[in-house]
Amino acid sequence: MTQTIDISSYSTITDAIRSEARRILSDSTVSAVIGYTAGRRKGSTQPIVITTADDADQLIFTAACLNDLVVYLTKAKKDVPKSGRIGIVVKGCDLKALVGLLGESQLKRENLYLIGIPCSGVLGSLLKPSAELTTETIASKCCECSDQLPVGCDFVPTVTPAPLPDLEKRYANEIARLEAMTPSERWEFWKEQFSKCIKCYACRQVCPFCFCEQCLCDRNRPQMVEQTPRPSGNTAWHLVRAMHLAGRCAGCAECERVCPMDIPLNLLNRKMAKELKELFNSEAGFEVRDTGPLTSYREDDDQSFIR
Amino acid sequence: MHVDKQKHTFEPKIIAFVCTWCTYAGADLAGTSRMQYPSNVRVLKFPCTGRIDPVFIIKAFQQGADGILISGCHPGDCHYIAGNYHARRRFAAFRKLLEFIGVDLNRIQFSWVSAAEGGKWVEVVTDLTERVRAMGPMVEFKDLVLEEQWSGNLNNPELQAVYEAM
Repeated sequence: MTQTIDISSYSTITDAIRSEARRILSDSTVSAVIGYTAGRRKGSTQPIVITTADDADQLIFTAACLNDLVVYLTKAKKDVPKSGRIGIVVKGCDLKALVGLLGESQLKRENLYLIGIPCSGVLGSLLKPSAELTTETIASKCCECSDQLPVGCDFVPTVTPAPLPDLEKRYANEIARLEAMTPSERWEFWKEQFSKCIKCYACRQVCPFCFCEQCLCDRNRPQMVEQTPRPSGNTAWHLVRAMHLAGRCAGCAECERVCPMDIPLNLLNRKMAKELKELFNSEAGFEVRDTGPLTSYREDDDQSFIR
Repeated sequence: MHVDKQKHTFEPKIIAFVCTWCTYAGADLAGTSRMQYPSNVRVLKFPCTGRIDPVFIIKAFQQGADGILISGCHPGDCHYIAGNYHARRRFAAFRKLLEFIGVDLNRIQFSWVSAAEGGKWVEVVTDLTERVRAMGPMVEFKDLVLEEQWSGNLNNPELQAVYEAM
């Protein structure tokens, strides 16, 4: 049964973000604030970088604020001024990505001013940006979210997000459905999904963790992954992508949202996260870790699969 | 001394990614000790199991491998102190990924073979070869390589509908 989700706190959050942004910009705590602003279509939003206190009123927070803004802080993106401290608006899932980047020495905490959002969920897609947030339209990642309140931010608006109603755990259910299939059925499923890929690399572009100066998949001496959008290169690309994100992915699900061919990319990421939790008891969180599950080891790791 | 070679209808291609310090030396020992093992295995020497990237396995499957063997030093014996510990974690994760997209894990064997274990090398290679032979050729990745690009199918109903509407 479709049920409306209470997002009445978002207007209070918008006001709080605006006054905080105005304060930190006017007293020069930060040189810029990365946030959301209204888009051109009614109800839609887009990222914005503001550098003067006068622009603070442009900032908003609504259920259509889907972007993970952390991607603008990475090396791969050059749009944000690199000098001085940067303020950034983060939801819980975005904050996990940011914490991951701190752990990988890509960012320095003292160069950031974090404005955390007590989040009640966002829309699954921007196709209908002014749609009401319901148990149907909510993003799949929000259905399995346990971190509505961000931890360790410099400023969090004092509102308590309404607890989410009981939501269908879409990823967990889909993973369970696939795991119950035979290997050949799973192969057919993924073959169909991957064959849709047009190699636009939007998933790579939007991912906070894809900050390599040169991607393995762009190299051609030797060429490890075929670059044309053909089934075999597509499969290799998505496997390499899932593997490179294993143990790092924070679950912001941006890859899946931006995919123009609707490939369930976050499904692979969730599966890997689940396996790494089971194998090494390691998952993305709000605590900065120097090493991830695949960059560290224990001498007594399971090796039952090795002869 | 030589055992008569049995004729098979299917000879699988096995690619072995081995570390130069232990398993390569172990395979060498098997050779100098004149132990017989299937010639289906193609040995690729790496500095360490930690150097073996999962993408090599995908590439091997695409280029016609029917089975994969990854072998290196026993835990604690790594020439680079911890390369095999890292590899162990990486492959524990990678085999889960392969399983999830529908690859039969019986085609991939991981093992620790030290420089002194020529006999174990023969055993591992023989077992894997016979297992893969029973499973038949690995067609999944090869079929993908042969497939046309996705836009090759121009005759689908959606495009037809768009064309007629024009």
